[in-house]
Amino acid sequence: MKKLLVTLMLSALTPAAFAVTTIKAEVNGMVCAFCAKGIEKKLNALPQKQAAFVDLKSRVVALQLKDGQDVSNEAFSKVIQDAGYSVGKLERVNQTVDAIQAEVAEAEKAGGK
Amino acid sequence: MLKQRTVALGAILLGQIALPLHAAALMGFEDSAMLMTEIGRYNQEWMLNYSPALGHAIGVEQMRMSGKGEQATTISGINYTGLIKRWNMPAAQANVWFNGSVGEARGQYDGFAYTPSLQFDVESTRLYFLAKARMIRAPNMNYDTAAVQAGFSFYETGFHQTQPWFVIEAKTMRNNDPGLQITPALRLINKNYFLEFGVTNPWQGEGFAPRLNAMFVF
Repeated sequence: MKKLLVTLMLSALTPAAFAVTTIKAEVNGMVCAFCAKGIEKKLNALPQKQAAFVDLKSRVVALQLKDGQDVSNEAFSKVIQDAGYSVGKLERVNQTVDAIQAEVAEAEKAGGK
Repeated sequence: MLKQRTVALGAILLGQIALPLHAAALMGFEDSAMLMTEIGRYNQEWMLNYSPALGHAIGVEQMRMSGKGEQATTISGINYTGLIKRWNMPAAQANVWFNGSVGEARGQYDGFAYTPSLQFDVESTRLYFLAKARMIRAPNMNYDTAAVQAGFSFYETGFHQTQPWFVIEAKTMRNNDPGLQITPALRLINKNYFLEFGVTNPWQGEGFAPRLNAMFVF
């Protein structure tokens, strides 16, 4: 009965999880919060933004898109470049910004040990 | 030989000139405004600029300084900041900046004033170095300055946290007293502000002077 309940819950959650699109990039030159504020401000101004995440230690910037909306990789890179930085690796992932944030925090915690 | 001459020329240039303001970033991001100020016993300065496009900012600046036994001179002018070159590396950023004002000097010296400068800085999340040089001229006035700064952060922080740094600066200003100003400082960097509290020449009884630098971006 318990297994069935868990299975039902997972099946209910799975489509939503796969619907999430987040653009995740490694940003070069992003070394200080004061200087990188422009990235956050420009991402927050995007109407397609569901959530955004900036992390200095891992150099990760992530933009979770609203359902059914999109920002091209080129447009995302331009936001970063207009803020004064350059994009290294860029990928689209089916993770929420919260999940990426937790993943980064976990990696940093493990790296700090 | 050419390399030696280039290095010598660079050293002479840095020996001649400097920027009183102390931040690695002399402007905000595109479509942002930045307020910078320095308040110390020997020099005071503030600047407000707006960046219409990445790498360019225009604004207004006022600086005040004095030589030994002189009354203070205040320069008020229109300022331009330009990013000449930026290197974005995986874990660091380096920049070459031009900054300068044209305006009017009033006080001990009067007349047309100009203050062109060059700055080089390189910074990671843990280390920081800056060299800057500035001409500060008006008729019969020469307050050219040169400065170097180096510092380290106590630890890395997240984007929403405040990062403390220790920074030490050596600055010379022509016809200023004291001519050499050494300022150890505690710098706090947050995504909303940049604050620096320092003490100039802490070992000198008479020359001892607190100094505050602050920057805000909107």
